[in-house]
Amino acid sequence: MAEPPKLRVLMVSDFFFPNFGGVENHIYYLSQCLLKLGHKVVVMTHAYGNRSGVRYMTGGLKVYYVPWRPFVMQTTFPTVYGTLPIVRTILRREKITVVHGHQAFSTLCHEALMHARTMGYKVVFTDHSLYGFADVGSIHMNKVLQFSLADIDQAICVSHTSKENTVLRSGLSPAKVFMIPNAVDTAMFKPASVRPSTDVITIVVISRLVYRKGADLLVEVIPKVCRLYPNVRFVVGGDGPKHVRLEEMREKHSLQDRVEMLGAVPHSRVRSVLITGHVFLNSSLTEAFCIAILEAASCGLLTVSTRVGGVPEVLPDDMVVLAEPDPDDMVRAIEKAISILPSINPEEMHNRMKKLYSWQDVAKRTEIVYDRALKCSNRNLLERLSRYLSCGAWAGKLFCMVMIVDYLLWRLLQLLQPDEDIEEAPDIFLHHHGEKIN
Amino acid sequence: MVTLSLSNKRYTYVQKSASEQSLREAIDIHHVNINGSRVTGFARRRGFAFFLVLLASCMYFFLGKDNPVRLLSWICILSGFLVMLQSRKTVKKESVIIMPTFGIQLETQYLSGKIVSRFIPIGKILKPVLVECVTPVTCYWSLSLFLRGEDQLTLVFKELRPPLKMLVPIWKALCAVIGTDQSEMIVEEEHAVSG
Repeated sequence: MAEPPKLRVLMVSDFFFPNFGGVENHIYYLSQCLLKLGHKVVVMTHAYGNRSGVRYMTGGLKVYYVPWRPFVMQTTFPTVYGTLPIVRTILRREKITVVHGHQAFSTLCHEALMHARTMGYKVVFTDHSLYGFADVGSIHMNKVLQFSLADIDQAICVSHTSKENTVLRSGLSPAKVFMIPNAVDTAMFKPASVRPSTDVITIVVISRLVYRKGADLLVEVIPKVCRLYPNVRFVVGGDGPKHVRLEEMREKHSLQDRVEMLGAVPHSRVRSVLITGHVFLNSSLTEAFCIAILEAASCGLLTVSTRVGGVPEVLPDDMVVLAEPDPDDMVRAIEKAISILPSINPEEMHNRMKKLYSWQDVAKRTEIVYDRALKCSNRNLLERLSRYLSCGAWAGKLFCMVMIVDYLLWRLLQLLQPDEDIEEAPDIFLHHHGEKIN
Repeated sequence: MVTLSLSNKRYTYVQKSASEQSLREAIDIHHVNINGSRVTGFARRRGFAFFLVLLASCMYFFLGKDNPVRLLSWICILSGFLVMLQSRKTVKKESVIIMPTFGIQLETQYLSGKIVSRFIPIGKILKPVLVECVTPVTCYWSLSLFLRGEDQLTLVFKELRPPLKMLVPIWKALCAVIGTDQSEMIVEEEHAVSG
């Protein structure tokens, strides 16, 4: 019989498979590596269409798709106290020890963290994106984040820039914030066995075609580069609202044979698109980390990217050429990249990436954060309320009221359905030949 | 003869095996009863409802047709009827009767004495499964059957939610009757629902 798991972690986020993106990928890979280290991981997210209830993924990863309706951009409708019963049930039946929330934009994550703190569980939060300070949406979001992180045990950010951003937005103490970068699955992203010929240089762009990812910059940069270098062609993968602008640009400059538009590329096909190229172009206007350039470097492509957010921290200087988010500077960077292309060895780049980034390393570092969180002292309600009071003159008092009501609702739930009545779910360990139920 | 008995605060599970001379194999009966205090509570309420109806009819006929009394007596009669209706929906016991090579019978017995039963022939059952049901406020285990020709799972216990320790022996008994290897079934189900 397998020995009992050391830690029992609940990952909470609105963003998980079948939705696809950086946060989803991060949660999945981190969970798989933690499972291999012998811990138990359960994921909680909202239902996606018909996908509702309990599902098991590779390695015995249990996912609860809770039937709460998503309302805008895949986030659950915020009811503040509505998720308390189901969160309590899941925490008790899976005997969870640490709750790990992901992404500041996820309402389910914030609610689950609040309820977990009320019930006395240890809580860790990972922030995956950079946010602004000036517009109305950001101001409100930052206030919610301040409330959520006021009483947290530990936090994780994916780059030093992201750590600075999170600390400034939430007023959290920097000593509580750990920096653990994302990683890439180097086994999946391998260079081509035969490098494509450099007679025609192919520049690959794979991103969502939205404002935030710099699609407008691409519209300016591509015609200029095509004019300067007759032997350069572009491959653009991805879809979005700015797709129309790119099509117009192709028509206007007659670049139909020089610019290939692939449309949305499923993640399983990203590698096959990357290995057709020599240079990867990333034009994002803001990026906390940017896993896309890691994937490109793992496939042996030289990267040209905008110098924004956490991008300068991701790759060594000889693997990336950085530029300001300005069309002329980007054209200069592409020129420099083309000139240093002959000295690039894709296999050697891939081997270096294998040593620099791995999900196993991320999981081990996250384990240290969980251990640190578990060592944090338990605080009673009054001590916790004093932390919320410091959030602001009016906001502090409002947050205290919210937490007091949450505490009272929890006690009421305990009266109606005592803790002993919540049945514990058996642990199912998947081995190679059949499995055992404990 | 009682083979197994388990109970918790809300439910009591009793397994009985009845073997008859004409049958080669024993019939297996699994009952899940709602525990005593709730049942007697409802019996008390039923008695109270009956008393109310009696009182109302007495007041109506003997104290004359004054308005307040009439209103009060109508209220008594109505509430009495509502309680009677409620007792028809309140479940006292649910049972699973397993007849090897023949089929299974699912029975629900209500407080009013009504019994609703459904017979499922053995050939129609593909697999019994233990499923975790997630609702917006809670999560619980339920025992369901995959039936040939039906899209939806059929719940074995429609009204009651017995705990897993009571469902497991019933599930094992169903697996034995259908003749499927238990561990192979669990793995197949994992693969079917993953991803």
